[in-house]
Amino acid sequence: MGDMVFYLFALMTVLSGFFVVFSKNIVHAGFSLMFTLFGVAGLFAMLGADFLAITQTMVYIGGVLVLVLFVVMMTRIPAQNLPKSSFNRKIPAGIFSVLIFAIVFKVIGGTEWNVLPVDAPEATISMIGQKLLTEFIFPFEYASIVLLLAMIGAAILIRERKIDDDEEVQS
Amino acid sequence: MFVNITIPNWSDFAHFVPEAIMFGAFLLALMGDVIVRGRKPVVPFLITLLGALAALYYSFASPPVGDAGVLGSLVMIDSFAGFFRIVFSFVAVVTILFSWSSEEIMGSTREHKGEYYALIALMTGGMMVMAEARDLVMLFMSMELVALTSYVMAGYMRNSLRSTEASLKYVIFGAVSSGIMLFGMSLLFGMTGQMTFVGIRDALVANPVNDLSMLVVLIMIMAGFGYKIAMVPFHFWCPDVYEGAPTPVSAFFSVGPKAAGFALMIRFFFTVFQPIVDTIDWPLMIAILSAVTMTYGNIVAVKQTNVKRLLAYSSIAHVGYLLMGFLLLTPGGLQAILFYLLVYAVMNLGAFMFVSAINNSIKSEELSDYAGLGFRAPWASVMMFIFLVSLVGLPPAAGFIGKLYLFTEVLREGWYWLAIVGVLNSVISLFYYMQIARAMYFEKVPEDAPAVKIAPLHYVTMALLAVPTLILGLYWSEFKAIADQAIAGF
Repeated sequence: MGDMVFYLFALMTVLSGFFVVFSKNIVHAGFSLMFTLFGVAGLFAMLGADFLAITQTMVYIGGVLVLVLFVVMMTRIPAQNLPKSSFNRKIPAGIFSVLIFAIVFKVIGGTEWNVLPVDAPEATISMIGQKLLTEFIFPFEYASIVLLLAMIGAAILIRERKIDDDEEVQS
Repeated sequence: MFVNITIPNWSDFAHFVPEAIMFGAFLLALMGDVIVRGRKPVVPFLITLLGALAALYYSFASPPVGDAGVLGSLVMIDSFAGFFRIVFSFVAVVTILFSWSSEEIMGSTREHKGEYYALIALMTGGMMVMAEARDLVMLFMSMELVALTSYVMAGYMRNSLRSTEASLKYVIFGAVSSGIMLFGMSLLFGMTGQMTFVGIRDALVANPVNDLSMLVVLIMIMAGFGYKIAMVPFHFWCPDVYEGAPTPVSAFFSVGPKAAGFALMIRFFFTVFQPIVDTIDWPLMIAILSAVTMTYGNIVAVKQTNVKRLLAYSSIAHVGYLLMGFLLLTPGGLQAILFYLLVYAVMNLGAFMFVSAINNSIKSEELSDYAGLGFRAPWASVMMFIFLVSLVGLPPAAGFIGKLYLFTEVLREGWYWLAIVGVLNSVISLFYYMQIARAMYFEKVPEDAPAVKIAPLHYVTMALLAVPTLILGLYWSEFKAIADQAIAGF
């Protein structure tokens, strides 16, 4: 039963991942991304990482993905104006992807992983909270600086642009 | 439901003073900029400058003794971190001072001048933390903080297409390489079940992982570091970013994050892979990477006509020299790297500052516009000549001593072909560095050449760099001792 659910989520993640990459329509690609992210959230839930699964759903599906779709719909890029990747770029990219897949496959299959004994799943939220405020307090506080920077950086980068007259425009 | 909770010890912050000063300066500068509005951002400038000076003073006056954790053991302050504190706060002081008179940063059309200084302070603090990280979590977070700041600073000239392009390239390459690195880190965690560098090492010694998996993990993690230090084949962003970003920012990038990348890389690889260095063909891999990086950087630099781009390629070549010290992960090699990083920071910053000072006046970075600069701006050109001599690695400048130590280590470890490649590369670099000198001194001043005016502050900052470049070439033993001490503290 557990295996069945795992393969279901895995299949969902991988298949919709393919759609994201190969779909010609960018809106379809965006929607497929939702299923990819949802599949990953399912995998997290199966591993007993309930908090991670909820966060994945709320932040990625509820936040990031919605923003992505908004941007896609508002910018309205006509489908035919999308830069077409030429044929000779697809072949090396394909070979490269297959190669990487083979290597990662071999590494994952050929390594003895440090596997923890399976316990009955329990809620992890309180444990994460305690860890964040004790052992991992430094990265936790550090993250606040990173987020502040992200906000300021975004504010600086999105301000209105006036291209200087004396600069070449073609680059 | 109570797990035994250890309350973090807030008095640990006594060990964290320079970093706390820099982060504090960042916040204060931001607030000060909002409160005091003026044509020039005096308040953020002064706050960050004083902060960097205070951090520099503190780093010199009270170097860390032993190991001290800050709020747990994820970030530890030791003499290695102390060494980099000095380097980073010095780089920050020079960059902040220099930027004040730079047209590219302070020009009338530029906005957000105050934030610029705040970001330098933030990045300096972030780089210090990078040199202190002892854990995969902090490794990644400290790298991301510095990377995110770099993206913003590269795209700082929002009105310039080149700057925007630089920022975008930086972001895309950065995101891809962090992704690869993160994947490598997750594999490493999966193999060992440990997050701390020491824990990972012990687990790898106890239960060796098969060679292929180890190699793949190594390459993936190397991708993240390689991007940070602009090592071939992860260097593609480097020339475009250095060319597009405002020149003081390029100067800062070419030494700051690069040195921070090296610091983290030394700590990570020395701690994790030093015991198993023989099992993974590490020396051969590093030797090849080093030879390819320096050769590529030097050969491409020969063809450049834009001085900023030339210096970008030359900085790639210097990464190649620095990697030579990594060969066997011996303390001697790492000490040579640290000393060279110090020398490199001073001389490379100086060369970029000269380009920026000239750009301020004649609005060009083309080699052809440097004709006769030796007569149009004699003092600045003399200082640039010192930097160039040092970058080539000729006595009596500091670059010579730095290279001497690196080559000695390579020869001691028996990698003769790498030493020969290194020497040949220095010869190539002599050619293109001297092209700049030739343009400055042996080309006629064009009739319609604009007058070169260099701001007083720029003279001061360049002298701040030129004097150490000479001093480090003559009396280096004390500074070498600091570098040696830093590694001995591991």
